Amino acid sequence: MLVRSLELVDFRNYITAQLDFVPGTTAIVGDNGQGKTNLAESLGYLATLESFRGAPIDALIRNGADTAIIRAEIIHDDGRELLIEAEINRSGRNRVLVNRQRLSRSRELLGVLRVSVFSPDDLALVKEGPAERRRLMDDTLVSLAVKHDSLRLEIDRVLKQRNSLLKQCGGRVSDDVSLTLDVWDEKLAQHGEQLGHARATLVARLTPMVLEAYEQLAGRATPVELVYEPPWRRTGLLHALSAARADDIRRQSSTVGPHRDDVEISLNGLPARTHASQGEQRSLALALRLGAHRLVADKVGTPPILILDDVLSELDSARAAALLANLPIGQVLITTASPLPSDARADRVLRVSNGTVLV
Amino acid sequence: MAATYTQPVQTLIDELGRLPGVGPKSAQRIAFHLLKAPRDDVARLAHSITDAKTRVRFCVRCFNFAEAELCPICLDDRRSGQVLCVVEESRDIVALEKTGEFHGRYHVLLGAMSPLEGIGPEQLKMKELFIRLEPEGVEEVILCTNPNTEGEVTALYIARMLKPFDVKVTRIASGLPVGGDLEYADELTLGRALEGRRELT
Repeated sequence: MLVRSLELVDFRNYITAQLDFVPGTTAIVGDNGQGKTNLAESLGYLATLESFRGAPIDALIRNGADTAIIRAEIIHDDGRELLIEAEINRSGRNRVLVNRQRLSRSRELLGVLRVSVFSPDDLALVKEGPAERRRLMDDTLVSLAVKHDSLRLEIDRVLKQRNSLLKQCGGRVSDDVSLTLDVWDEKLAQHGEQLGHARATLVARLTPMVLEAYEQLAGRATPVELVYEPPWRRTGLLHALSAARADDIRRQSSTVGPHRDDVEISLNGLPARTHASQGEQRSLALALRLGAHRLVADKVGTPPILILDDVLSELDSARAAALLANLPIGQVLITTASPLPSDARADRVLRVSNGTVLV
Repeated sequence: MAATYTQPVQTLIDELGRLPGVGPKSAQRIAFHLLKAPRDDVARLAHSITDAKTRVRFCVRCFNFAEAELCPICLDDRRSGQVLCVVEESRDIVALEKTGEFHGRYHVLLGAMSPLEGIGPEQLKMKELFIRLEPEGVEEVILCTNPNTEGEVTALYIARMLKPFDVKVTRIASGLPVGGDLEYADELTLGRALEGRRELT
């Protein structure tokens, strides 16, 4: 999969921009605050319909404009050429077109373009709470098979409804409401079990990939473990939900389910979150991303577009060199404020200054 | 939004904007259209709204729209009372009637379970459904709620409540549109269609 060109209109700080990419490595160089990450973010949006910075969609539209447009030409390995256009509107619905044909549901775009994004925020994967790690699992699952996106949305929907019902109960539940909760539980269990199974399978496949990536980055074999064992998977979600019923009613929220899961990461047998050094945590975060990237490349048969957003400057030169040496062959986009390390052989260098791309 | 129009115009826009599927921009367009239209046309529209509202009510048996106590479908004694089709809205009856495949009676729930909108079983015509079964000699209940989260949960709830009754409970199949291409089916629909596959003999 290749991105041939990218065009922006009123996206973030760009009034207009037009970029051409090469099949190998394209470096985007410029000072901080000039709009390098915005370019990466726009490609990320076409892949996931979200900002990888977790920004609200509104923030993607240039100040003073009502509509942002992202347009990209994608070439698939089989030679198929696709023109993808996303229109982000401040008011009204966002639209997505593929080869000038409007998609009836924007989410049909998922899977047309795949990206793996590495950013300095990735440290949160190791240091912060479980939400980041759930997102890594689920985003990887969506990259592997688009059906996981519907599953995730369906679970969100059921949870919203269930929580709303629990709030309306105000801590007290009549027999009638209890029957209603039963059916919401059944729906949650049905979809939650599917996601739990998918996550467990994913983590099992991901572990050797992360182990290998960590070894390459750290330069020596180190035991890395990923453990995904939510207690509800032992008893079954339906059972766990009924066991937690009283608690859920009292706290007026869903205390058990896939939305509370975590993947515990350990290094040398100790929890990485609390015991690993800063440097080890950084390598682990990179290894997680790299592992997921390779897994998707393996299973899908073509590597996602790799976006290294400002990560090289965060790494010491040995790790940066190790990362660059171990990147799978595919299209790479590197943004950096500092000069490129000598190991990064960029096939094209684009300079960004104040919302303008200079070739 | 700051009121930029004279009060009657703004009120009209606000009222139109409360209709389903009408956003602020559409409300404004419709309001301007009405204000420019001949007085007779507007009066006819206003009359048809109040007329429909006064003359149409819900069928006491199935909660379809009716002009009398019972709707035309419940009045039609050629229709079988043995099969009952449960739908969310009256408009679903229209869709099902177009198929010409169903000759039983209907029951309209007037919505689907959705705690977010404050709709539980008590807000729907559920009890009214259960008390119909015995007197009408219903043998099969077909659950035709929408194939989305709320519709599925509503169907599941009804199915559970019908357990003690001596009726067969079925759920309409979900799957591929006829005349469509597999290639264009979304993965969820296609997955469901695979699940619900049938043996060809």
